[in-house]
Amino acid sequence: MIFRSEASRGYTLSAPATAYVGFLVAAPLLILIAYSFWTQTYVTLDKTPTLKNYSDALADPLVRHLMLRSIWIAGAVTVVTVALAYPIAYFIAMKARKKTIWLLLITIPFWSSYLLRVFAWKLILGFNGVMNSALMMLGLIDEPLDFLLYNEFAVVLTLAHAWAPFAILPIYVSLQKIDPSLLEAATDLGNSPLQRFMRVTLPLTIPGIIAACLIIFIPTVGDYVTPALVGGSDGKMIANLIQVQFGAANNWPLGATLSLIAMLSVGFVAIVFVITATQLGRRIR
Amino acid sequence: MTDRNIIELRGVEKRYGTFLAASGIDLDLKEGEFFSLLGPSGCGKTTVLRMIAGFQEPTAGTVLIDGQDMEGVPANNRPTNMVFQSYAIFPHLNVGNNVAYGLRGKAPKGEIDQRVAEALDMVELGGLQDRGASELSGGQRQRVALARALIMRPKVLLLDEPLSALDKKLREQMQFEMRNLQQSLGITFVMVTHDQYEAMTMSDRIGVMFNGRLKQVDTPTTLYARPCDQQVASFIGEMNILPAQLLGEIGNMLSIDAAAFGRIEIERNPNVATSSKDMNIGIRPEQLEIAAEKPEDYPSTVQGTVSNAAFYGENIHYHIRVAGAEKPISVSVPNYFHTVDFKRGDAVWLGLQGASVIDLGTDTK
Repeated sequence: MIFRSEASRGYTLSAPATAYVGFLVAAPLLILIAYSFWTQTYVTLDKTPTLKNYSDALADPLVRHLMLRSIWIAGAVTVVTVALAYPIAYFIAMKARKKTIWLLLITIPFWSSYLLRVFAWKLILGFNGVMNSALMMLGLIDEPLDFLLYNEFAVVLTLAHAWAPFAILPIYVSLQKIDPSLLEAATDLGNSPLQRFMRVTLPLTIPGIIAACLIIFIPTVGDYVTPALVGGSDGKMIANLIQVQFGAANNWPLGATLSLIAMLSVGFVAIVFVITATQLGRRIR
Repeated sequence: MTDRNIIELRGVEKRYGTFLAASGIDLDLKEGEFFSLLGPSGCGKTTVLRMIAGFQEPTAGTVLIDGQDMEGVPANNRPTNMVFQSYAIFPHLNVGNNVAYGLRGKAPKGEIDQRVAEALDMVELGGLQDRGASELSGGQRQRVALARALIMRPKVLLLDEPLSALDKKLREQMQFEMRNLQQSLGITFVMVTHDQYEAMTMSDRIGVMFNGRLKQVDTPTTLYARPCDQQVASFIGEMNILPAQLLGEIGNMLSIDAAAFGRIEIERNPNVATSSKDMNIGIRPEQLEIAAEKPEDYPSTVQGTVSNAAFYGENIHYHIRVAGAEKPISVSVPNYFHTVDFKRGDAVWLGLQGASVIDLGTDTK
C-alpha cells in the first residue's frame, strides 16, 4: 500500500534527479565552500578555517576589475543577444508558416562543436581573416583593421552568436502562447501596431525575455573558453583568473573563494534584474 | 431604433482562393437596432462581422459605417468595438486597466477613472477595478469585455458568439441583461450566433446565413412564421416538413392536399415561390393538437401511433407515426396541469388548423 501513496510515488519518481543533483551539484558545491576557508601551503592544505582568502580576494583590484568586466561583458552579450533574438522569435511565432523548419534551422550551429565555432570567428575576425580580406578587396580599407579580434568586442560577438538559440527559444515560446484575439482586441480598442506591441505583446513576453536573459547572463559571466581564445588581454574575464588558481597558480582555496564570489555576484545581479524587469512590466498598462 | 442606416453592406464578398466565405451580402442595419447574424458554423457569419470590424477586407463590395466607406480604414480607426468570443481579456492587466485600455492617452486620468467606474457599474461589476484578470469567472469576463468595448462609445458594438462560453443558466440571464443594456444605450448591436433561441430572444431582426449567403433578413416572428425556404425553416426552431400537392389558389389562400393530413386551406407565404403543383409545407411541433379521441373543430385530423416520447419538463415531445408520411411527425405539447401522458405504442389523433401550416413553396433543397 505504501508504494501507492501519492507522496511516495512522487519521491520515487524524483529520486534519480535528486541523487544526480545531490552528488553532482550539492556535494561539489559544499567541497568548494570548504576549500574557500582553507589555506594552500605549497603542496599541502592547511585546514584551519580562515577568512583570509575572502579578504585577500576582495582587496585585490584585479579581482574587482575582472569581476566587473565579466558582468559588463555578460550584460552586453545578454542585451545584444536578446535584442537580436526577439525579432527572429517574433518572426517565427507570428509570421512564419513552417515554424518547425525555422526552429530546426536555428539549432544548426549546435551541430558543430563550440570550439569550432569560436575558431571560425577567429578566422573571420583575424588580422588576415575573412572580414579584413573582403573589406580590402572591396577597397573600403587600405590595411587590415586590428580592432576586430582579441578584445571585448570579439568576445561579445562570439558569445552572442553562440547563445542566440537560447534566447530565441524562450521568447518564441512566450510569443507563441499569446492568444491572437488579444492582439485583435488591442487593435479594436484603437491601438496602432506599435502601440499594440508595446502594451500587449511586450508585457506578455516579459517572462520569456527574463528567462532568455538569465539563461545567457549566468553562464556567460563564468565563460573562460571564449575570452581565452578571442579575448586577448583586454577581454580576460573572472573565469580565466579562477582557472589559473586551479591550474598554474595551484591555489585551490583562492580559486574556490573567487568562484563563490563570482556566484554570489551573479546571483545578486540576476535577482535585482528579475525584480526590476517584473516591476517594469507591471507598470505597462 | 431610428430609420437611419448605421451600417450598409453592398454586394460584400470574401474569397479565400476558390472558397467563397461570404458573397452577395447586401444588408442595411438601423441605428439602435439589435441585429443577429444566425447560421451554422462555417456559414460565413463571423467573416461578415470581421469585415465590419476591419479585421478582414472584403474582396468585393463596400462596407459603409455611418455613411463612410470603410475601404482601407484599419480596425483601430473604425467607430466599432468588438466583444470577442474568447473575451480576450488582457491577462497582464486588472479589471480597471482592461476596461480603461482604449481610453489611455486619449482622455485625462480623472475622466478615465470616472468612465471606468460608470462602465463597470453598467455591467454590474462596480468596484471590481483592482480584481486581477485571472480571478474572474466566465460571466465576469464577459461583463469586463462588454464594459471595455462600451466605454469607447462605439457607433456599433460587434459581438462574436458572446454567450457561447457560458453555462445555460448564466446565458439566459445574460441574454436579458444584454438586451436591456442595448435598449437603454441605444447603440447598434450586431451579434453573431449559431444559437437560434439566443438570436430570437435578443434581436430586433435576424439575418440567417447559409454557405456564405444571407438567406433571409426578418424579425424573429416573421422568420419563425414565414421562413423563405426549408433550410431556414428547419434551422429556426423545429419543423415537420411534408410534401403536398397544390390544388388551387384563391387570392391569398392556397388549397392543398398534404400527405397524411389531406385537403387543407393555407395562407400563401410571400417569402417563397410556388411554381408547380409539387410543393412543401411546414408544421411546427407545437402547432399540432394531440388527443386520445378524435379532436373536434379541426379541419384536418389524422390517426397515428406514438413511436417515441421525451419529457422536457415544461413540455413533452412525441414522435407520431402516421400513414402517408415518410418520417414520424414531431409534436410538442405543453405540460399543462400534467394531464398529457402518452406512452410509446399508444394510438393517438392529431389535429391541424390551416393557419398553423407554413407554405414552403416548391424549392426542393
